[in-house]
Amino acid sequence: MVPLVLYVLLASAMFTIGLYGLLTQRNGIKLMMCVEILLNSANINLVAFSAYLPNANGQVFALFSIALAAAEAGVGFAILIVLYRLYGTIDLDNINALRW
Amino acid sequence: MYQDYAYLIVGLPILAFVLTIFLGWHLPKGGGFITVLATFAGFILSFGIFKEIYPNDEIVHQSMHWFASFNAGILIDPLAIVMLLMVTFVCTMIHTYALGYMEGDPGMARYFAEAGLFTAAMLGLVFSDNLLQLFIFWELVGLCSYLLIGFWYRKPSAASAAKKAFLVTRVGDVMFLAGIILLYTNMVKLNLVLPEGAYLLQFQTIYDSLTLIPPDQLTWIAVLLFGGAVGKSGQFPLHVWLPDAMEGPTTVSAMIHAATMVTAGVYLVARMFPLFYAAPNGLMIVAYVGAFTALFAATMGLVMFDIKRVLAYSTVSQLGYMMAGLGVGAAMGAFSVGVSMFHLIGHSFFKALLFLCAGSVIHAVGTNDMREMGGVLKHMKWTGLTMLAGSLTLAGFPLTTGFFSKDEIIVTAYEHGAMGFGWLPYVFAIVAALLTAIYTFRLWFLTFDGEARSDYHKHESPWIMLGPLVILALFALFMGMPTQENFYHYVGNNFEHYGVDFDELAVIGGHHVEHAAHVHEPFIIKILPIIIGVGGIIIAALFYSRWKRFDPGMVTSEGDPLRKILLKRYYQNEIYTLWFAEKVVYGIALVSNMIDLKIIDGTVNKISAISVGFGGSLRKIQTGVIQNYLTAVVLGLAVLLILIQLASMGVAI
Repeated sequence: MVPLVLYVLLASAMFTIGLYGLLTQRNGIKLMMCVEILLNSANINLVAFSAYLPNANGQVFALFSIALAAAEAGVGFAILIVLYRLYGTIDLDNINALRW
Repeated sequence: MYQDYAYLIVGLPILAFVLTIFLGWHLPKGGGFITVLATFAGFILSFGIFKEIYPNDEIVHQSMHWFASFNAGILIDPLAIVMLLMVTFVCTMIHTYALGYMEGDPGMARYFAEAGLFTAAMLGLVFSDNLLQLFIFWELVGLCSYLLIGFWYRKPSAASAAKKAFLVTRVGDVMFLAGIILLYTNMVKLNLVLPEGAYLLQFQTIYDSLTLIPPDQLTWIAVLLFGGAVGKSGQFPLHVWLPDAMEGPTTVSAMIHAATMVTAGVYLVARMFPLFYAAPNGLMIVAYVGAFTALFAATMGLVMFDIKRVLAYSTVSQLGYMMAGLGVGAAMGAFSVGVSMFHLIGHSFFKALLFLCAGSVIHAVGTNDMREMGGVLKHMKWTGLTMLAGSLTLAGFPLTTGFFSKDEIIVTAYEHGAMGFGWLPYVFAIVAALLTAIYTFRLWFLTFDGEARSDYHKHESPWIMLGPLVILALFALFMGMPTQENFYHYVGNNFEHYGVDFDELAVIGGHHVEHAAHVHEPFIIKILPIIIGVGGIIIAALFYSRWKRFDPGMVTSEGDPLRKILLKRYYQNEIYTLWFAEKVVYGIALVSNMIDLKIIDGTVNKISAISVGFGGSLRKIQTGVIQNYLTAVVLGLAVLLILIQLASMGVAI
């Protein structure tokens, strides 16, 4: 059995990568991907602790979370497509119509 | 039994107002007959109540709680019942006449609706049992007069006359309201323990507490209330709106000048007579203002050529008589209320008659200018004769109503002088009486006598207009003699119902007179008004009638400065409008405008500019770049985590 700490380390690494991407990237699709990585790091934590305890609740939550992530990705990409049609770019720095 | 339905006296005309304003368009004659019937029903009710309360000298008082320390109530005492009878009767006549006079006017329904409301407002004013309710109806009267004077609102002169009437009377109304407030605060200060069902502003309570209020306060209250009466009753210096009020239909002038509007001011002073009596100098002001107005207006009536304008100045003058009649009450006591009210009642009959006759003439001839009339009697016998009746009584021809009422005022003014209260009211009154006779018959001769001076239409008015004229003429001629003595005592004793002790009030007012000092006027004083009245008629006849012996040009010429001053109406318009309104008030307005713009608005604008500027620089923090926000969130979270960690390790933060 793989020790729990490795899972937690993996989850932390993914979280940090996702957060780093979120803070540095400007491309909308890359941001979406970063958000997915963040979400999945949380899912790994849920599943790992669930298997370790053992308690099935965590895995059920992970399934819900994946379903939600799919929906969220659908909405997010749809918005990006509309933005691309309107502005011809998905660089979020250029989309500033409501800024002061 | 009638008194249980007293509220209907006002209720029915209000109902007529509602019906005619909404349904009048669909009814023949604009639904005018509804207003006539409602007013006539008011007269029947008033007469029924009069029959019930007169024999036993009772009063009717009904009251209900309204809000806080105020009530709504009906009070019908001798003073009120004579007014109710007069207003309902004269208004019935005027409304009936209007059925013929307003025939064919597209605004007929509106006319009768507003006339109904006008009547209702005046009746409500008369039978109010407290000062606040009286004030509400008082304002309603003002509103209706505005609407009716500006009835032909497409005519610029009518619209501006309506505004003038409203604004000038407003000056008085504000003073009236200030008087009520001052009276109220004084009454509150007394900490009266009121019996069940009594309220602070009820007349009974006011009469009872006159002895307790400081006399100097009483004078202020009296002056302020009189200010309201001055505005409403067209006394100097607020009389300027009344001659301009001619711009409405003639029936409106008749209503305003006779029954409804202008008598309200006199009624107010009569109603508050004990207060004026108790206030030092209160009645003296009333007497002098009234007598001066009587003379002042009569002089202007002498030179006018507009038939309605002459009558308007005569109204102002006669109202001056009524005020003077009340004012000389300093010497005469409450008896003068009877004398003055008698003139008010008589005057409303003959002034309504004169206006309606003038309306009939204008209706037929098509002009207001007497220079274009002449010889109208040949074509309009009934109008001419009824107008002669009205003129005779206005001029004070012996044994007519006006003779009794005006002479009594002049005689009481004489006693006022003889008892040492000042001769000026008497002098003014007697000179004004001469002028009254002259201008009245100048009007009559210029209009009805002599040869036609222009090619006017010649036809008599229909009987629906002549009927009221004849009835009013009979009253104008013959009402005075049989009722005079009873009237004086009935109305003069009005305040005995309230237990007003005039001797005590006279001591407060500082004009206590021993009853033994009562003077007996010499014979010459008694017959002087007769001589003056008849003399005035003869003078007018010598100048203007077919028996002309003198030409007016002999006394005065075009360039005569006196005549010019009179024709220019003492330059009141110039003083009030050009000088006062445009220089003084406009200057004040400019300064206020500056203060408002620069100081008040400036402060507010500065404060808002500061917050707008601060906000403007602060909004730069909101970059709109999500990464910036996220960085802040992550950093904040990191700091928070570190702090929690340190805390859990026992480090004191």
